[in-house]
Amino acid sequence: MSTTSQKHRDFVGEPMGDKSVMALSGIGGILGKKLEEQGFDKAYVVLGQFLLLKKDTEMFTDWLKDVSGANSRQAGSCAQCLKEWCDAFL
Amino acid sequence: MALLSRKTAQEISELLDEYGIKHGPVVDSTRGLYEKKIKEAMGKGKRTKYEPLPDKTFYREEEDEVTYVYRTPVRSEGAGDYRDSGSYMSSRPNWNEREFQQEMSYSTYARPRSEYRGREYVEEPYLYDKTSSYRNSSLTSTPIKSGQDAPKAPQSKSRLIPLWVQFMFFLAVAVFLYIVFSSMETNESLEGIE
Repeated sequence: MSTTSQKHRDFVGEPMGDKSVMALSGIGGILGKKLEEQGFDKAYVVLGQFLLLKKDTEMFTDWLKDVSGANSRQAGSCAQCLKEWCDAFL
Repeated sequence: MALLSRKTAQEISELLDEYGIKHGPVVDSTRGLYEKKIKEAMGKGKRTKYEPLPDKTFYREEEDEVTYVYRTPVRSEGAGDYRDSGSYMSSRPNWNEREFQQEMSYSTYARPRSEYRGREYVEEPYLYDKTSSYRNSSLTSTPIKSGQDAPKAPQSKSRLIPLWVQFMFFLAVAVFLYIVFSSMETNESLEGIE
């Protein structure tokens, strides 16, 4: 099992509600700002994108890297976080 | 290929299906990503559902045999009939065309191959200067190559310890052994001390 960060566990442990995009695992201040500029100001909007991509973590990772300049680790972490959230709550 | 950004969402969706790319709806936020994926797939030269394999690979297996079987008599024929340019020239256009025509000329030239074996090899560069022979050999090589590319690629990077580390270790062991060996004393020198 891969080790998850506290942020990941916090996010995946409960419904996301209105949490900011920076609550997502892998998304810090800089990436969060970039996403907000693109219109993805809440975690659920990013979730929307994840769902549009049919919960495909690879596609989502590619998209996130393109749109925010995230590196592979950050994008992968965010994708995994969303995937687990979906598995738990969707 | 027409500009991807000019295509309708439906067309993008169809293109993605053709390249076998699993995808969701093509909307504003996903379109850019999907266009990029299609470009990558095109660049890699992936086969789409609607593009059949080119004819040359279609006949690969037969081509193998035909080339092999056909080569030797042609070689022998070429070697033997080199002086006889008339019959040699007449057979060459046949060779460029269909297989059965090739086989026909094969059957008409039933020379023993063995006596030409030695010369065949030497004469090969001359005979195979021509585009047809080049095409034959490239026909056999390219499909195999593309088939082998996929299985070979994943196997290239699978070392736990990088190669250079292994070399360094080997060198270190060799140097160590050399030092040990060179510092060994012989019987003579011992006697000298006494």
